[in-house]
Amino acid sequence: MHRDRLISQIGPALMLLVGLAFVIGSVTTLELGSARRMGPGAFPALVGGLLSVLALITLVRNFRYPMGWDRPDPISVAAVAGGVAAFAFLTPLLGVLPAVIVSVLTTASAVPQFRWPGRIVLAFCVAGAVWLVFVKGLGIPLPTIRGF
Amino acid sequence: MDLLSNLALGFATAATLYNLTYCFVGVFLGTFIGVLPGVGPLAAVAMLLPVSFYLPPETALVMLAGVYYGAEYGGSIASILLNIPGTPSASVTCLDGYPMARDGRAGVALFSTAIASFFGAIFGVVVMVLLSPALAEFALLFGPAEYFAVMVLGLVAASVVSTSGAMRGVMMVCLGILLGTVGVDINSGETRFVAGMPELRDGVSLVVVAMGLFGISEVMVSARGATRSYATERISMSNFFPTRSEWLRSIGPALRGSSVGSFFGTLPGTGQTVASFVGYALEKRISPRGDKFGTGQIEGVVVPESANNAAAQTAFIPTLTLGIPGSTTMALMLGALMIHGITPGPRLISEHPELFWGLIVSFLFGNLFLLVLNIPLIGLWVRLLRVPHYFLYPTVVVLICVGVYSIDNSIFDIWMTLAFGVLGYVLRLFRFEPAPLLIGFVLGPMMEEFFRRAMLLSRGDPMVFLERPGSAALLGVAGVLLLATAVPRRLYPWNRAT
Repeated sequence: MHRDRLISQIGPALMLLVGLAFVIGSVTTLELGSARRMGPGAFPALVGGLLSVLALITLVRNFRYPMGWDRPDPISVAAVAGGVAAFAFLTPLLGVLPAVIVSVLTTASAVPQFRWPGRIVLAFCVAGAVWLVFVKGLGIPLPTIRGF
Repeated sequence: MDLLSNLALGFATAATLYNLTYCFVGVFLGTFIGVLPGVGPLAAVAMLLPVSFYLPPETALVMLAGVYYGAEYGGSIASILLNIPGTPSASVTCLDGYPMARDGRAGVALFSTAIASFFGAIFGVVVMVLLSPALAEFALLFGPAEYFAVMVLGLVAASVVSTSGAMRGVMMVCLGILLGTVGVDINSGETRFVAGMPELRDGVSLVVVAMGLFGISEVMVSARGATRSYATERISMSNFFPTRSEWLRSIGPALRGSSVGSFFGTLPGTGQTVASFVGYALEKRISPRGDKFGTGQIEGVVVPESANNAAAQTAFIPTLTLGIPGSTTMALMLGALMIHGITPGPRLISEHPELFWGLIVSFLFGNLFLLVLNIPLIGLWVRLLRVPHYFLYPTVVVLICVGVYSIDNSIFDIWMTLAFGVLGYVLRLFRFEPAPLLIGFVLGPMMEEFFRRAMLLSRGDPMVFLERPGSAALLGVAGVLLLATAVPRRLYPWNRAT
């Protein structure tokens, strides 16, 4: 229970950090200007200040009435993030289509009920569809296959 | 006649084969997305944004709008057949639609839904035609202070509907505005908050934020929850046509639903879901058969469907005439306009009449397409619900990656999308909804611009926002909205009585 309450504070605490970061960033690196002629730092400093104040209020109120939070699903996050990362790594090396195939296979591993033959078929279908729609249909210049 | 010549211009724009094709593609994809529970119109519009860069602005908007209102039609199909709303605004349709389907009257429910949706949409389009030019003309009187106040009101309205409370909504809006300040400041030419990354000089791309927050994080949330297909029962669809008395009974509800929907659609922050709930509640109270609602009454599907489709159309009124998006999807539409170099606001109708009137006429065509798509093709959509759900998620992830990459061939953008995906996921875990963030992100730069201009005109006196009656009234409404949510629900007079 105690631990749950502490974890519930992470959200507002993150907001407070972001708000303060923008306030400090605007005040130290940008010009604030005057009320009449505002510099580039004034507006972000104001909004960052508002965010910090609201986050602080939420933080204090949250001690008395903690807001619930959901448990993360690491497998799902890893599979989806892995799929995106695979695309980002492989596209410059091999081109878009091989990257698409690996990305589908990686993301699909989130669901164990989805068997390998199905995953492979889906990967090739999606790659084919991407080629048809983006490259042939819309004529977007994508590096389809590289390095062969 | 001014209106007629405007509509003629709209027809000339919308009725080209090119635009009709993209209109059809839009509504078809929209229905597809709407039918599938889990992927909303928002994610669909976000995924199509990069594609729209390669189209002329009016075609892009016609297609994106088609996806958006097409999803309203599609959303009711899963509601009726499975009791699972395909889109949030179709959840009211479950109340009477699903009991109708269980009575073996699924065909009638789907047919009357399609007709009611069409009726509501056309009603909304008519309201839009009559109201928008007048509103835009009125908005030309606005100075920077009023613009700033309208945006504050829009953002407050967007945050108070957030289920985890207005406070968290406002915080997300602030976060969105702050993210919008990243990049070169247009007034001074100075770069802000780029953290040494030259890729950020032009700011964070809207596509990246939208795809990360609503695409990637959505898939992270729901990928493993979906292990089977939804449709398991056989549905008898022998009969499509409502009886004569049902037709007659539906006329009043359709009119009332459309009126309620048109009204709520124009208000920022409420949108289709609130419209369909209010329409249903109102009808339940005034209908002589109100006590039977929830047992499969035809009025119970006609009202919410006409309301949410009317609202889907009238939501374009504030977006196109004032430049204030009432919902996240509308914020994306605005973003699409801005990417094409078109500044939304009261001058849009006079400066780009072909865009505005072309879009309106495309709504007529789009809704006709939807009628055609929905009635004979219901069988196809039902079969789509039988496809296992896990096919969808890897496909969505890849489409997001390819879409983001296709804009600039930039790998940096893909990593940013992933970062926003993880951010959105973490924020959701701690009950911060990402929708207000996106609206803040789109409106932020404009807000800053108007704020600085208003302060310059008032010679640095912040009281200008309260001294001008227009902006004072708008800020007052925003303040009342915020205060109303600060009062605990149990203190409301109508809750105390019980």
